[in-house]
Amino acid sequence: MRERILGRIHRALEHRPKTLLPEPLPAVSLPPAETLTLFTERLSGNGGEVVRLENLEAAAEWLGHFAQTFAGVAVGQTVPPVLHPKLPVLPPEEAPLGVSWALGAVAETGTVVLSSQEGRRNQLLPPAHLVFVPEARIYPTLFEALNALKPSLPSAIGLHSGPSKSADIGQIMVKGVHGPGRLVVAVISGK
Amino acid sequence: MKVTANQYPQEAARVLREEPHVRDSVTGATLNFDNKRRQAYAEVDAETWRHWAEGVKNHVLSNLDRYLLEAEAKLQKNGVQVHWAEDADDARRIVADIARTGQVRKVVKAKTMVSEELGINPLLEGMGVEVLETDLGEYIIQLLKQPPSHIVGPAIHLNLEQIRQLFHERFQTPLDASPDHLAAVARKLLREGFLRADMGISGGNFVVAETGTLALIENEGNIRLSTSAPRIHVALVGLEKLLPRFSDLSVFLSLTARAATGQRLGTFVSLIQGPRQPGEPDGPEEVHVVFVDNGRSSVLADPEAWETLRCLRCAACLNACPVYRQTGGHAYGYVYSGPIGAILSPGLLGLEETKPLPYASSLCGACFQACPVRIPIPKLLLTWRNRAVEEGLTPRFEAAAIKGYALAMTQPWAYRLASRAVRFLPEKALDNTVVPVLKAWTEGRAGLKPSPKSFRQMWEDGEV
Repeated sequence: MRERILGRIHRALEHRPKTLLPEPLPAVSLPPAETLTLFTERLSGNGGEVVRLENLEAAAEWLGHFAQTFAGVAVGQTVPPVLHPKLPVLPPEEAPLGVSWALGAVAETGTVVLSSQEGRRNQLLPPAHLVFVPEARIYPTLFEALNALKPSLPSAIGLHSGPSKSADIGQIMVKGVHGPGRLVVAVISGK
Repeated sequence: MKVTANQYPQEAARVLREEPHVRDSVTGATLNFDNKRRQAYAEVDAETWRHWAEGVKNHVLSNLDRYLLEAEAKLQKNGVQVHWAEDADDARRIVADIARTGQVRKVVKAKTMVSEELGINPLLEGMGVEVLETDLGEYIIQLLKQPPSHIVGPAIHLNLEQIRQLFHERFQTPLDASPDHLAAVARKLLREGFLRADMGISGGNFVVAETGTLALIENEGNIRLSTSAPRIHVALVGLEKLLPRFSDLSVFLSLTARAATGQRLGTFVSLIQGPRQPGEPDGPEEVHVVFVDNGRSSVLADPEAWETLRCLRCAACLNACPVYRQTGGHAYGYVYSGPIGAILSPGLLGLEETKPLPYASSLCGACFQACPVRIPIPKLLLTWRNRAVEEGLTPRFEAAAIKGYALAMTQPWAYRLASRAVRFLPEKALDNTVVPVLKAWTEGRAGLKPSPKSFRQMWEDGEV
């Protein structure tokens, strides 16, 4: 089958002139100061929440308050221990909160970049998803983010740009259909 | 899927007569999509993006054999099993073999149009495998045993009342349940499905040759779940879906989302390189990519229609189309409806089975303006119409009628004669069944009636 299909394609293209591959479109980049502002604006526009934290210490303190309202948590494998909420650890299908450490983020689309290395289920099954991302890893454009990821791609990457949604029921927007209905991104500035 | 495209005119007329709510629902949904698409295009240099995307796709298509081989090698290196399906039978045999070897009893499906094309659900159900569609819209139409009526919004032909009624009958929800309530009921049922399924089946928006990446775009999270939770993932991918470079995704992912729903990016994008790696806590043990031909290589060989293969399946042309808006997608009688269906279906299935489709257009050109990869849809509609005439697939009187029309429009004496003659016809002559070509028009409408005086006569009498 493979040879027959490839043969047919080869014959189809025999007399077709080969066209050149266009150079990548130049991405319009941003000064670093504007990157975080744009990220916050775009992700909020998509229905996500953004929290800005000064450093890991401040993040741990904020997490202490944030986590209080949840009864349990599923934590990604790559989340630094200091950012594990002091909550009972539950399997992702039972946890009301999932916590992830992002590979990076994209300002122009309001997106966090998540790796399969930390576990896919805890990114998807809990109804609320908290994602930590260092400010230095927020790329202005998707083009820059993809180029940074390319040298070491994990088995799967999830680009999450807001809460799960659908308008399949009578064109009315519903949140939290399969994936998390709440996405909170905590941006950590310093070390 | 059974092809009923040749019944298009009758079916379209029937939908308009008997199911007027379809027009209301589809018009509302598509105008909304189209409006958002325009705003999302306006935010970027859409013309540059469209020309660039056209150029990349043209390059891939003119080197398709080379890119398929490169993608295959990369996928295999990543631990993905690659299969090749010449037609629907091949594809079904491949999926059946994977399911049998993996002792699969439950399958979750992430919305895929190719799967509809290949008839995967009936196959698996015939094997005693439980199949669950997990996209909310797909799940709704699966309950109703209907095919999708739109490439992106498979259930846009249904209104809230109909879905309330359906859920009331199936799940005893109240008749005034809110959309949130209905979605929560579906979420609970489908969540069980994700956790118990042995196999997830998806389509593929793109396969990147450089890295062997399978890219999937969605908003609900069901595709990420279907490709993450079960131990086997099978992706059915049309063999035209390739991109050369990983970085090409940046424009193509965003352009697809902008064209389809007016978003900057789908809420969830999966970039899948392969099965679960050592050290990863979860993920599928097996990932299979099935490259599906099923007529695509014939379209590639077609000196004109090959441009159709640039299609990203964003449905922007459906949303822009004043003809699609009237009936929704079911009348088109195949998986792909609207303007793209009208040029793709003849290419994949042949004109014999699809001849009314290229006529399902006013040639207004809105589809071309919307298309993110600049497929010349109006030109190709005419190409297929010309071929229908050349192949003798059009009724014989049509050629004579067109010749007569041409004469009347180029010779004043003939025009005058014709316009007089029409006024001497018996009253009911243009009403219904006398002239076959008028029947489709008059079936759901009042008969045609010439004005008592022609414009020319009124002019001569000094009335205008």
